[in-house]
Amino acid sequence: MLDRKIAPKITDIEEIKFIYPQKMELSDLVPMYWMKEVPNATSRIDFYFDAGTVRGKSVLASLTAGLIFSGTKEKDSTTLHNLLDDSGAYFDVGLTQESALVSFYALNDQMLNIFRIFEDAFENGVFPQKEIDELVNDRKQKFLVNYEKVSFLAQREFQKQIFNGTPYSRLIELSDYDDVSRTEIIDFFNQFYKNGLMKVVVVGDLPQTTVDYIAGQSRKWCVQARPEFQSDFSNNIKTIKLEKKDAIQSAIRVGKTLFNKEHDDYLAFTILNTILGEFFGSRLMKNIREDKGYTYGIGSYLSEINKSGYFLIGTEVGSDVRDKALDEIKKEIELLQNELIIEDELELVKNYLLGQALKSADGPYAMMDLFLAVESHGMNLDFYNKFIHKIQTIKPQELLDLARKHLNWDSMTIITAG
Amino acid sequence: MIQFERFELDNGLKVIFHKDVSTPMAVVNVLYDVGARDESEEQTGFAHLFEHLMFGGSVNIPEFDSALQMAGGESNAFTSNDITNYYDVFPANNLDTALWLESDRMFSLAFTDKSLEVQRQVVIEEFKQRYLNQPYGDVWLLLRPLAYKKHPYKWATIGKEISHIENAKMEDIRSFFQRFYCPSNAIVCVAGNFELDYVKEKISYWFASIPSVKKPFRILPVEPIQSEFRELTVERKVPADAFYYAFKMSERKSEGYYVTDILSDAIGREKSSQLYITLKKEKQLVSEISAYITGSLDEGLLIISGKLNDGVSFERLDEALWDCLETIKNVELSELELDRLKIKIRTAKEFQEQGLLNRAMNLCFFELLGDANGVNEEQQIYQSISTKILHEFANEVLRKENCSLLKIKAEKNA
Repeated sequence: MLDRKIAPKITDIEEIKFIYPQKMELSDLVPMYWMKEVPNATSRIDFYFDAGTVRGKSVLASLTAGLIFSGTKEKDSTTLHNLLDDSGAYFDVGLTQESALVSFYALNDQMLNIFRIFEDAFENGVFPQKEIDELVNDRKQKFLVNYEKVSFLAQREFQKQIFNGTPYSRLIELSDYDDVSRTEIIDFFNQFYKNGLMKVVVVGDLPQTTVDYIAGQSRKWCVQARPEFQSDFSNNIKTIKLEKKDAIQSAIRVGKTLFNKEHDDYLAFTILNTILGEFFGSRLMKNIREDKGYTYGIGSYLSEINKSGYFLIGTEVGSDVRDKALDEIKKEIELLQNELIIEDELELVKNYLLGQALKSADGPYAMMDLFLAVESHGMNLDFYNKFIHKIQTIKPQELLDLARKHLNWDSMTIITAG
Repeated sequence: MIQFERFELDNGLKVIFHKDVSTPMAVVNVLYDVGARDESEEQTGFAHLFEHLMFGGSVNIPEFDSALQMAGGESNAFTSNDITNYYDVFPANNLDTALWLESDRMFSLAFTDKSLEVQRQVVIEEFKQRYLNQPYGDVWLLLRPLAYKKHPYKWATIGKEISHIENAKMEDIRSFFQRFYCPSNAIVCVAGNFELDYVKEKISYWFASIPSVKKPFRILPVEPIQSEFRELTVERKVPADAFYYAFKMSERKSEGYYVTDILSDAIGREKSSQLYITLKKEKQLVSEISAYITGSLDEGLLIISGKLNDGVSFERLDEALWDCLETIKNVELSELELDRLKIKIRTAKEFQEQGLLNRAMNLCFFELLGDANGVNEEQQIYQSISTKILHEFANEVLRKENCSLLKIKAEKNA
C-alpha cells in the first residue's frame, strides 16, 4: 500500500569515475589536453592566453580581446565572420583578470577549417582603426548601461577594495576607453597573444591528424617564460555605501580575501560555504529569501585566482530592507561561529554535495572542466577523491572552528549600492 | 535521434521515457499545460507566483527541496506565457525520491499562509530586480500590450503590475491549482539509465492513484489581424535610445514558424546578418542590433531591437531600417547564405541535445505540441526550407502594418 508520508530509501553514491584527458606538450611550459571520448559529432577547442586584465593598462586587454576577428589585410571583419558562420562555428572570448580564453564550438568535420580561419585572422590581424573606434563606441555605451545597475556598482567597488592596491583592483572609468591607441593594442596583442599561449584544450572525437595539425601550428604562440601572478593580497576592511538615487533595490556585497584550492582549509571551507550560501537550501536562502522574502536570490561564493581567492556574499534586496538584510547576513555568519551544525542539516549538505560531485563528472565536457579546475593549480584528479573523503568524514566541530578562523565579521569588506 | 517510449496512465497522465545508458544521473521533467496566457486579465502573474508556491510543501512532504537535496539532487522550474515546467536532476539510484516528490505535489498542495506571504514578497523582489531596477527592464511590460490587443500575450509572465501579486488570495490560488494541476494536464519525462518496465512500474506506483480530472478546456481571446502600424515612445533614464520593432508571426505548430525563425537569423542573428552589416558596419547608425523570435505557441513576434549611436535620430534609423527590409523583401537570399544559417542551426541543436535535461524538456514540449517525436523531425523541417519560401515569408511578415514599434528615448540630463 502506497504511503506517501514515508520518504523512499536513499541510495548513497559509492564511486565516481574520473577520467583523464590525454596530455601533449606544445613546449616545456605549454600543455595541450585532449578528451577524445565524445559520443556525438560535437567538439570544442579552447586557447588560453596570458592576456587577462592584469596585463597592460586599463581597458587594453578588454579591447584587444574584442578585436581578434577584426580583419586582416585581405579580409575585413565581415568576411572573417562570414567564413566562421559558413562552418557553423560558435566562438567566444572569455576574459578574466588572469587569462583570455578563445573558444570554438562546432561539428567535428568543421574544426580543421575553423582553426585555419582563426590562424589566419590571428597571424595576419591588422587591427583597423575603424574597427577599434566602433568597439570603443559600443563598449562605452555598454559601460553606461551597466553603470545604471546597482549590482555592477557594488561589484566593482568590492573588487577595488578586496584587491586593494594591486592591478586586480583597477576600476574602469568611461574616459579610459578614449585613452587606448592602435599601437598599444598591436603591441599588447604581439606580447600577450602571439607570444602568450598558456594552454590548449580539445574536447571531441576529432581525427588524430586534425589534433596534430592544431598542436603543430599553435606552437609558435607559446609563452616563452612562465607567467607570473601576484600572490599577496589583503582586503581593505571597510564599509562603503554608494548612493544611487531612485534605486528601488540595493545591491549588497560582503566578503574578504581568502585562498584557493592549494590551501589546506579549502575542502572543508567549500562545505562550510555550501551550508552558508552555495545552494537553494543554504542558510542565507532559507532565511533571507524563503523566510523573510527580502530578495529574489542570495548566494555566497569562493572565487579563485591563480595565487589566491576571495569569499563573497552577494544579493539584491528591496531598498527599504537593506539594513535588515545585512543584519541577517551577519547573524547567519555568527551562527556558524557559535553553534554546532546539527546532524540532519549536515547530512543533507553532504548528500547534496556528493550528488553535485557525480553530476560535475558527467560527460566529457564536464569531465574536462573538472580536470582543468585542478590542473591550473598543478594538481590532479585525486583532489576530488580527497574532497569526497572530506565530505564523508567532516564533523560539526571542524566547521565551527573554520567559521571562527575565516569568517569574522570584523574582517569583511561591506559594500552596498542603491 | 532521441529515442523514447511513451505511455499513458488511466488518469490521463502522459509519460515519456528516454533511456541514456551513459550517465549516472537522471532527470524527471514535469510540464504542466498552463502559462500566463491562461490567467484572467485582473489576476495576472498567477501562473508564475504559483510556480514559486509549488516548492512550499505538499500534503505529505513539508519541504520539497530538502527532500531532493537529501537524495543528492536539485530542482528548479520556469514559467512562460505558455507553459510551467518543473525539473529534477539527481543521481539515478534515487528515482523514487523524485517521483515521490513530483507525485505528491500533483496530488495535493499544502502551502501555508506564511509561504504565500513570503513567496509574494520574493516575486515582488523578482519583479523589481528584473523589470524595474534595470535600464530597459520594462521593455516587455510596454511592448506586449502594444503588439497584442486581445490575446493574453499582452501581459508578461511576471504580471501586468505588482498589485496583482500583492492582492493574490489563497482561495484564488487553490482554485488555480485544482483547475490546472491534474494528471491530464501534465506530461512527465523520465530520462536516465533505466529499463522501460521499471519506469512503468515506478510511475504507476507513484502517480496512478492521483484522481483523474478532466483536462481544462482552453478558449483564449483571439487576436484580431493587425492592420495598422503602431508606435509608442517613452522617455526613461537610460544612457542610449533603444528601438524594438515587433512583427506578428505564425504560431508554433505551423511551418511558417520555422521559416520565420530562419528569417530572423538571416536579418539579425550574427555578425554576418543583413541588418548588422548594413546598419552597423556600413552606416554606423547603431551600436547593437539583432533579430529574434519569441517562440510562443500562439501567434508570436519577430523582434528587431537595438540601440542608436550618439547623435543618430530615430527617424534616420527608421528610414534606413525599412530600406534594408525592402531589399530583403526584393532580393532572394543566395543558397550560400541560407546554408550558412542552416549549419548554425544544426550545430546549435547538436550541442543542446548533449544535455540529458534538455532532451527531457524537449520531449515534453514536443509532446505538448502533439508528438514527442517532433523533436527528431525539427531539423528536417529547418533543412528543407528553400530560399523561395523564405522570400515569401519575408514579404508576408516584414510589412509596416504588421509592425508595432516601441522607442525608449533617453531622458536628457539624466
